[in-house]
Amino acid sequence: MANLLALFAPPNVINELLQRLSLSPETINYVVWPFIQIGAVVTAIALWALYATYMERKISAFMQARLGPMRVGPWGLLQPIADAIKLLTKEDLRPDKADPYIFFFAPFISVAAAFIVFAVMPFGPDWGVITDINIGLLFVLSVSSVGVLALILAGWSSNSKYALLGGLRSSAQMISYEVSMGLALIGALMFARTLSLSGIVQAQGLDSIWYIFYQPLGLVIFLVSGIAENNRAPFDLPEAESELVAGFHTEYSGMRWSLFFMAEYAAMIVVSAMATTLYLGGWYFPFLWRIDHAGYHSLFVLLSLVVFIAKMVVLLYIYFWLRWTFPRYRYDQLMDLGWKWMLPAALLNIALTAFAVFTVQALDGWHGLKTIESLTRGVNLTWQGKVIMVAFGIAGLFIAAAMLSAINWRSRDFNLKKQRRQVRLVSPPQGQPAVAPAPSES
Amino acid sequence: MPVVRVPELTWKEKLKRFFLVDLIGGLKLTLKFNLGALTDKDAVAGKGIYTEQYPKVRAEVAPRFHGAPRLNMDPETHETLCIACNLCALACPEDCIDVIPMDIEIMVAGKGRKKKVLDEFIFDTSRCMFCALCQEACPTACLELTQDFELATYSRAGFVWNREMLEQGRETIKYEA
Repeated sequence: MANLLALFAPPNVINELLQRLSLSPETINYVVWPFIQIGAVVTAIALWALYATYMERKISAFMQARLGPMRVGPWGLLQPIADAIKLLTKEDLRPDKADPYIFFFAPFISVAAAFIVFAVMPFGPDWGVITDINIGLLFVLSVSSVGVLALILAGWSSNSKYALLGGLRSSAQMISYEVSMGLALIGALMFARTLSLSGIVQAQGLDSIWYIFYQPLGLVIFLVSGIAENNRAPFDLPEAESELVAGFHTEYSGMRWSLFFMAEYAAMIVVSAMATTLYLGGWYFPFLWRIDHAGYHSLFVLLSLVVFIAKMVVLLYIYFWLRWTFPRYRYDQLMDLGWKWMLPAALLNIALTAFAVFTVQALDGWHGLKTIESLTRGVNLTWQGKVIMVAFGIAGLFIAAAMLSAINWRSRDFNLKKQRRQVRLVSPPQGQPAVAPAPSES
Repeated sequence: MPVVRVPELTWKEKLKRFFLVDLIGGLKLTLKFNLGALTDKDAVAGKGIYTEQYPKVRAEVAPRFHGAPRLNMDPETHETLCIACNLCALACPEDCIDVIPMDIEIMVAGKGRKKKVLDEFIFDTSRCMFCALCQEACPTACLELTQDFELATYSRAGFVWNREMLEQGRETIKYEA
C-alpha cells in the first residue's frame, strides 16, 4: 500500500531528475517548474474546453430525450477530436473588405485573455497553483475584461452588420455585468481579508466553512453576472442566432472561429473556478487534511485537485442546465436585470455583509457570548458566530429580493406597464368577447 | 388594437413570482429528463430516450406495413410460386406490374404438353402506391409486400425491379448494431 501511494509523488521524482541535470535550485523553482505547470494547465484547459462541448451536447441531448453524439468512438467520446481536426483543416476565410490585421488578431486576444487568468487560479495546494500573487483577484478581473476588446475588434473588423451589432451588444453587456460581478466579490473579501486567491481558499479552510453559507446572495449575483459576462444563454444576446446569425464571429471560419469557441469555454471555466475559489472553498474539503497529516502529501495535493475540478464541474453543469432550460432574454430586459437588479443587489450585499460582520464583532463578549476566534488570517468565527453569520446570509437573500422588488415596482410602472396591461391578451374571462368596450374617457 | 382587461395579480401569483416558482419548475423538468436519460436501463429505446439510432437499429414498422415487393418461392424446392396468371397485373391500379410468361414443354402421363410458366416479372416501384391489391389478388401467395422500407436508389432505372431482385431482395448496406 505504501509503495502504491509513493507512486502519487510526481514532484519529488521530477525534482530529483532536475537536480541530476545539475540545474541550480533557482532555475528549477522559477523557470523549469513554472514551465511544467503552464504546459500541464494549458493542455488540460484546452482539452477540457474540447470535452466541455461534448458534455454540453450530451447534457442538452439528455434534457431533450435524445442521445447526442454516438458515432465517433464509444458513446461518441472521440467526437470533440473529430471536430477539432475538421476545424483545423477547414479553409480560413476572410471577408473581402474586412480589416485584415484586426480580423487576424482578435481571436488571439480573446484566447489569451481567457487563458492568462489560469496563471493565478489555485487548482490545489502547494504545486497545484502556478503562481500566487497577492492581487490575484484584481488580476483575474482586469485580465478577463480584456476579452471584451477582442469581441469589439472582431465585430468591427468583420465589416458585416451582424458582426458589428453582435460586437456592440456583447461589449455593452459585458461592461454592465462586470460592475455587479466585481461588487459581488467584495462580500466574500470581507471575510477572507486578502486578494490572493490561495489566501481566500486558506481562509475558508481555517474557518472550516465555505463562503456560500455566509454569502448566498453574493454567489447568486456572481453566477448570474458570470453567465451574462460569458455571453451564455439565457443571456446570449450577442450571438442570438435568430436575430444576428452568429454575432461577432459570423464571418469567422475554421481555426479562428474555434479559437473564439475555445475562449468562450475557457471563460466559462474561469468563472466556475472563481466561484469555486470564492464561495465553494476551492480545493478545501472536510477531513482531507488528515491525508496530509498522515504523510501522503502528494496524494493530498492530487485529491485536492480532484475536489476543485469536481466543484467546477458542478458549476459548469449549472451553466448547461440553465442554458437548456430558459429562453433568451430580450435586450431591454437584459439591461434592466443588469442595472436595476444585479447592481443594487450587489451594493446591498456589501452593506448587509458589512453590517453582519460589524454585528458579529459587536456581539463578541456580550453576556459571555464568544463569536470570534481570531481575525489574523480572515474572519475566524466560533460556532455561535457562524450560526449568526449564516442566518444573516440567508436573511440577506430575502431582504435583497424584497427591497429590489419594492424599488423596481415603480420603475416597472413607469415602463409602460399600465398600457401593456390594457393590450396584453392574458386569459380573457370566459364567455366574454376579447374586445372590451373602449374606455369612456371623453 | 384590441383592448383587453387583464386582471390584477392575486397575492398568490405575486408570491409565486417572488419565489421564482416557475423558473424552478422549468429547471426541475429538464433535470428530470436528464436523470431519466442517465438512469434508463435500455438507453436506446426505453422511456428515457425517444430517438432511434436508425441505420444501426432499424425501426419496427407496423404489422400491416406495405413495403418492398417480393416474389415468394417454395421453401422446399426453391421454385417460384408464381403461376404467371397475370391477376396481379390486372389488379394493379397503377399498371406497374408486367408479367412475362413463357411456354415450356412438359411430359404429363407420357404425353407432351405445353405449360405456361413465369419468364420475367417487372415491378416498377416508382409508380407503385403500395396498396397491396396485387398481394390480395395473388392466388398462390407468391407476390407479397414486405416490411422492408429502404427503397431509395441512385437512378430512376433502379426503381424498376426485375424477377431476380424480387426473388432475392435488393442489396442494402447493413450497419452493425
